Amino acid sequence: MKKQRTNVIVRLYHQLGSPPSFYRISGYFLKWLLLIAIILTGIGLYDGLVLAPADYQQGDSFRIIYIHVPMAWMSMFVYAIMGIAALIAIIWRMKVAEAVLIASAPIGAWFTLITLVTGSLWGKPMWGTWWEWDARMTSELILLFLYIGVMATYTAFNDDSRKAARMAALIAVVGLVNLPIIHFSVKWWSSIHQGTTVSIMGESRITWEMLRPLLTMAVATKFYYGYSMLKRARTYLLETEQQKRWVHDIVEEKKS
Amino acid sequence: MKPFFALVKRDLTLGLRRKSQIYQPLVFQLLVVTMFPLGLGSGAKTLALIAPAVIWILALLASLLTLDQIFKNDYDDGSVESYVLTSYPLSSSVLAKVLAHWLLSGLPLVVFAPVIAVLLHLPSHSYGVLMLSLLIGTPIFSFIGSIGSALTMSLKHGGLLLTVLVMPLLAPVLIFGAGAVVESSLGNSANTHILLLSGMLVLCITLVPFAAAAAIKINLE
Repeated sequence: MKKQRTNVIVRLYHQLGSPPSFYRISGYFLKWLLLIAIILTGIGLYDGLVLAPADYQQGDSFRIIYIHVPMAWMSMFVYAIMGIAALIAIIWRMKVAEAVLIASAPIGAWFTLITLVTGSLWGKPMWGTWWEWDARMTSELILLFLYIGVMATYTAFNDDSRKAARMAALIAVVGLVNLPIIHFSVKWWSSIHQGTTVSIMGESRITWEMLRPLLTMAVATKFYYGYSMLKRARTYLLETEQQKRWVHDIVEEKKS
Repeated sequence: MKPFFALVKRDLTLGLRRKSQIYQPLVFQLLVVTMFPLGLGSGAKTLALIAPAVIWILALLASLLTLDQIFKNDYDDGSVESYVLTSYPLSSSVLAKVLAHWLLSGLPLVVFAPVIAVLLHLPSHSYGVLMLSLLIGTPIFSFIGSIGSALTMSLKHGGLLLTVLVMPLLAPVLIFGAGAVVESSLGNSANTHILLLSGMLVLCITLVPFAAAAAIKINLE
């Protein structure tokens, strides 16, 4: 019989869809993701806090952007990942997608909260106020509420985790559709928040010495998210599949 | 179309028998609006300034009181299962439920709005825009609420969760709804706001029934 040849990517996709192989494969990545995240964060913070020149207007206090901006990027990036996972969970009922969704929500919520807090800390000396109802801050706050909604939905149905995950997926998708509407309607008010200074298209209005640590941090946070999300997803799978054989095997393996 | 109207008629009959559900939100509005002059002082200028926002937020809160009822009673007595099992599309049944809910709880809010507006000294030339904006905005409350209600219908105390889920999604409606009244009270045209609100309503009519139907199906698994 002729051996069926399958595409590597297709095969990997199918393997990652089953909880035991997802658990096994993600296990190889975990420590590398964490290691890269720590190293990059170290480099980025040193570069940003020590090497980068002070801003001619804001002095040293601009340096909070090396936390604030990567966190803000991540708050939206994680929601996008969560939304895609939610769509997959609803359409194909993939268990691993549910795990990714439930694992991402609290991480994204924390990124959003840190964005709000660091922005507030920066706003006090710069704008003279802890909080200003400007467009971006308000939509970031609403984003936090959306994350909380997803998490609250999941916890509300604690008797049936699969149903709970799919409910949370639905509310995540509704939020994903609504997010642009919320964003643009909130933008309606005039804003005192700075315009975008880093843009992929066209030239960035920031010097390379200042931009370099920002990009390093942006990559570092992605690796951290990868680590943290996989770790949570693995725990989620162990918890929800505790009746299954493969979980028992792992427990036995750990015992011996 | 027959099952659609049958469902609307059934809900209206049931709703009209439980009249408390219709007038309680209105009493709630009246009570809360009384608190504003008491807390803020009765200066006509101050009240007129906050009137658009207060009226809209009151409409939102009053809607929230009844949103969980869209599917809750039907879930408790098993009717929701029959909507799923019949050959009639579930999303159309959702549309009928939303329409009936709006007629029972949204429309009274629109009709009652001028009373609240008088109490808050809203300039008289804004009444038209106020009622028009509420006429377009309150159905959106019922639509988005139907998703929340479909998600929370099997929970014993789903009210707070429903509020947490629905409120952030309704922020744009509040922005443009209250914005329209503000513009018109300042003597400007409120067209842009009204058109954007209408756009949101159209989007809700086309998308929400499917989302709520999906929520019902997941909930009944």
